[in-house]
Amino acid sequence: MNERQLFVRDALVLFGLAGWALALPAYASEFVVSLALTCLMYVALSSSWALFCGTTRYLSLATSAFFGIGAYAGALALERLPWLAAIALGAGLATVVAVVMGAAVLHLRGTYFAVLTFGMTELIRHAITYFEKSVTGTVGRVLMVVPERDTIYLTVLALAVLAVATSIVVRRTRFGLALQGIGADEQRAQTLGVNTRLIKTAGFALTAAFAGAVGAAMSVRWTYIDPPTVFNPFIGFQTVLIALIGGALTLWGPLIAAIVFSVLAETLRLQAPQVYLMALGLLLILSVLYLPGGLASIRADTAKGWWRDIRALYEEKRYEWSGEKARDKRRERERRLA
Amino acid sequence: MSAGAWLELIASGLITGGIYALVALGLNLQYGLMRILNIAHGEFLMVGAYLTWMAQTSFGLHPLAMVPVSFALLMALGLVVHRLCFKRLAATSPDLDVFEARGLMVAFGLMFLVQNAVSWIWGGDLRGYDFATAPVHIGNAQFAGNKLIVFALALLFALALIVLLRQTLYGKGVRALMQSPVGAQLVGIDTERLHPLMFGLGLGLSGVAGCLLSMAYTISPAMGEPYTVTALIVITLGGFGSMSGALAGGLLLGVIEALGMHFSNPSLKALLSYSVFIAVLLLRPKGLFAK
Repeated sequence: MNERQLFVRDALVLFGLAGWALALPAYASEFVVSLALTCLMYVALSSSWALFCGTTRYLSLATSAFFGIGAYAGALALERLPWLAAIALGAGLATVVAVVMGAAVLHLRGTYFAVLTFGMTELIRHAITYFEKSVTGTVGRVLMVVPERDTIYLTVLALAVLAVATSIVVRRTRFGLALQGIGADEQRAQTLGVNTRLIKTAGFALTAAFAGAVGAAMSVRWTYIDPPTVFNPFIGFQTVLIALIGGALTLWGPLIAAIVFSVLAETLRLQAPQVYLMALGLLLILSVLYLPGGLASIRADTAKGWWRDIRALYEEKRYEWSGEKARDKRRERERRLA
Repeated sequence: MSAGAWLELIASGLITGGIYALVALGLNLQYGLMRILNIAHGEFLMVGAYLTWMAQTSFGLHPLAMVPVSFALLMALGLVVHRLCFKRLAATSPDLDVFEARGLMVAFGLMFLVQNAVSWIWGGDLRGYDFATAPVHIGNAQFAGNKLIVFALALLFALALIVLLRQTLYGKGVRALMQSPVGAQLVGIDTERLHPLMFGLGLGLSGVAGCLLSMAYTISPAMGEPYTVTALIVITLGGFGSMSGALAGGLLLGVIEALGMHFSNPSLKALLSYSVFIAVLLLRPKGLFAK
């Protein structure tokens, strides 16, 4: 398939999925709609995360910071502003924070970057907790004005579609190519005339804007927010896990993994929350070890490759354990001596 | 403030600092030597604490007797984890950057796995037992006996590790590997043997730290994470890979936290440590003591 056909295919798949998700609230039960909402939230979060962090290999753990900032901004603004303006405010504030944060940390790479973004997320969470406790004198906030369920669902759906559509489009622009260049070799990209600093800040801000908007849209669903819920580092971790398990470099990987995870979470979480989280950890380890390209990289011969590996290991162990290896070594030595 | 109160304040900072240093030393060994940023380090500390608590309450074992046992068990666990995860990861990763990112992800997975396994087995309640709670008077200041024992043992283990690395042939090999992995292999240092051993040693130390912690504080499945974060702060303070830096950084952070909490507000503790952490990472990324 050439570039153009691929583009048309991706756009058609997205169109079909979006139409199906749009029709869902009309016939499905309350439980299925709430499952779909969680699913769409993680589609939006992890697709936008993979857009910047996947392609450039800057492992950001700050998603929950942007999510929380968006949630607080949206929740507080909703009493005075209309719904869409509150969402936009959430996205805008998260973008501003991302630009400031990016200016401070985007010159660091690898583990330093990951650890620093995590530290800053925790700093923001503790700062807001402290501010709420000592200045406004509350622990959390109860939201009085709450839009209808369908409004929230449609907004999150629109955000998820927008996130995937942005990924489809960005891959084909100069901006997307610059991001890929930074991921492959940052110094070379710089030498070839890419303004890496600007590109990285813009990409980071784009990711943050999506996380902020999703935070603002989801906060009203909980009707009660406090820093430990909306700045929960687990939101950030799970976004990263979904993107990595699905395949951070692929377009559909995060979407596939988000669906798998939401279904797994909803079915296991109520009966055995610990088992769910243990399964999550185990899946993560296994996917990093045996499927580094993610779920989206599974092809027909992936299983064949594993089978070959297992066979090779078995042959080697049999050679060793049957004593054949030791015998061969001894013969070799005797021949050399003779 | 009287001299006794100052002494108490600084000493309580040093006591928590000693534990920080011990945890950070293990993490530093793993990161400095193998580039494994083991986010799950605190979880293994928690496993050590739970093992000690179980041995004490169910079988009546003396907590001090559990120190070597928990070291050995956690070290064995570390060898298994290294064999199952990190050995394959090192063999399949194309370069060190990729290995570091993937190692971080595997460690996240281990964190979820271990934390939830413990809360599944033992439940999420706070646990604890009494051990040497009688106060000890030194001058006109007084301390809890168990905390003094904890401090002495933590310092002992930290110093033992530093001496081990400085004086023995193994230690020389480890330091050579930290300086230049390729060069060390060229002069015949066996990475295949040293890597698992040092990974295990790091986990063993976290087991000891957990065992010590359970003597003086209550334990819960969520106790590990703050210690991981603190250990990260400590090794950035002391410089990645520097052992004496980690010891000094740990003690320093303990004192800073104690002083900061006394003069401002206990709920600012987390805010304070994260601010120190970010400031050091941004301003002196090679550590406070780097030349």
